[in-house]
Amino acid sequence: MRRADGEVILLWTLPVVGIIWISVFLLFPGFVHPMSPTMSAEEVAAFYRDPGNLPRIRYSMIVFNWFAVGLIPILALIVLQMRRMAHRTPIFSYAIIACAAGGPTIFLMADLFWLLAAFRPERDPELILLFNDMAWVTFSSQVGFLIAQSVILALAIFLDRQPRPVFERWVAHFNLLVAVAMVPACFVGLAMEGPIAWDGLLTFWLRNAAVGLWIVVMGIVLGRLIQRQRAAEGVAA
Amino acid sequence: MSDSATGPEPSGSLLQRIGWHWRHDPKIELWLAWWTMVVFYNLFGLLFFVVTRTQPPPKPWWGPERVVQWFEEMHHGLLIGFAFVFLISGMTAIMNALLAYSIRRMSVSRAFAYSYLVIYALSTLPGMLLLGIGVTVAAMRPDRDPEIVRWLYDFAFMTFDGTMGVFLVGSLVWMVAILIDKNRVFPKWFGYFCLCNALTEVVVAPAWIFNEGWVFGWNGVITWWFQVFVFGTYTGVFITLLRKMILREDFGTGPLPELATDGAPERSGPMQAAR
Repeated sequence: MRRADGEVILLWTLPVVGIIWISVFLLFPGFVHPMSPTMSAEEVAAFYRDPGNLPRIRYSMIVFNWFAVGLIPILALIVLQMRRMAHRTPIFSYAIIACAAGGPTIFLMADLFWLLAAFRPERDPELILLFNDMAWVTFSSQVGFLIAQSVILALAIFLDRQPRPVFERWVAHFNLLVAVAMVPACFVGLAMEGPIAWDGLLTFWLRNAAVGLWIVVMGIVLGRLIQRQRAAEGVAA
Repeated sequence: MSDSATGPEPSGSLLQRIGWHWRHDPKIELWLAWWTMVVFYNLFGLLFFVVTRTQPPPKPWWGPERVVQWFEEMHHGLLIGFAFVFLISGMTAIMNALLAYSIRRMSVSRAFAYSYLVIYALSTLPGMLLLGIGVTVAAMRPDRDPEIVRWLYDFAFMTFDGTMGVFLVGSLVWMVAILIDKNRVFPKWFGYFCLCNALTEVVVAPAWIFNEGWVFGWNGVITWWFQVFVFGTYTGVFITLLRKMILREDFGTGPLPELATDGAPERSGPMQAAR
């Protein structure tokens, strides 16, 4: 088995993880019409106590708990491509490894808060509201590593100065755009309503759409690169 | 490659000089990481000490009502300040990558560099982001039950001040690497300074036991003032030493050459053009 074959296996986990994430998104009753931060403690408690919601909350967040870190192998594949770039130091690939350790861990914590909110729905509504707030604030505001990841990848691509660079330059521009799209989400604490609130146009829809688009585009770009590498290895063999 | 034609850095506006370094400086990766570190620590100081005023920390012995009052007074500073903290938090990734590279440049096993990288990548979460999440959640709803607000207050400050092990073990990994390195990447005295920094994480531990008192509370003389003084000095020192390392860098694997002293003729070569 050639080395690139293993990479193809890792790459094909991407559409699988993608489908699982989309299923979680559709299954969790708090996402399709995102829960409003203006809901009172009683309303939030009623949301978790609703027999139509509770199993869906638990099952979706159990599945997300399994696969929240599912993108790390894809980041590892990006690291491998970065190591083929014409750089003098491994700094950029180290930085992506650091992002891969930091980012997914935070989203896993948001998942834990949602599961805890649903664990004993008969609890005092104030405490359910607390876990619900912690889940939404963690999920929404923690885009720092995602922004860094895209900016670092873009810088690495710009500095990959060789006749045939690993990634084409538009991939760098695309990553910078994705990074910009995530910036408003950092400010989620400042508004209970409107585009910045955690159910808002910028923080929820734009940010999540940017994550989704990044996964699709980078999946295709990586797939083509690995395919080309495999073909080259086949010729060499 | 474009760096083969490096001339001396042109004089001109700051933007022109930056543009020149971007195109021609063979050490651009190192300088990008180093400047990220300088910008991050300046913003970190501004956001924590001025905008959010969470450093020096408020009192651990306050009752729930006083804590609620503190959140009311600080409302906007906390929410705006921590939004910017979240925004810049990913900068730590490239800073840690530079530190890991400094270890890679030493004559020691790569295991040291990888350990350092992973430990500090994890440290951002309990050491900084949980504080921001706890404070943001509390400040968002000032009408919450005061007991719950104080729970968030404890959660925020104790995760921040009471996260010790990552920095303890991380500093010790760096210390051992520096002390056994033969490439002279860092001076040996800095290795012992790493030990001082590691020890400050040990003396923070009483903050988990004493929630009052000026010495051992989370804002105490030993647990906060002494620790911050050592950490601040340590940070300033390693930023300076990393700059020197980049200036001396020759991209080889042997001992790092010393800097040309003032007045002595500089050795020729493409690296000397890079400042």
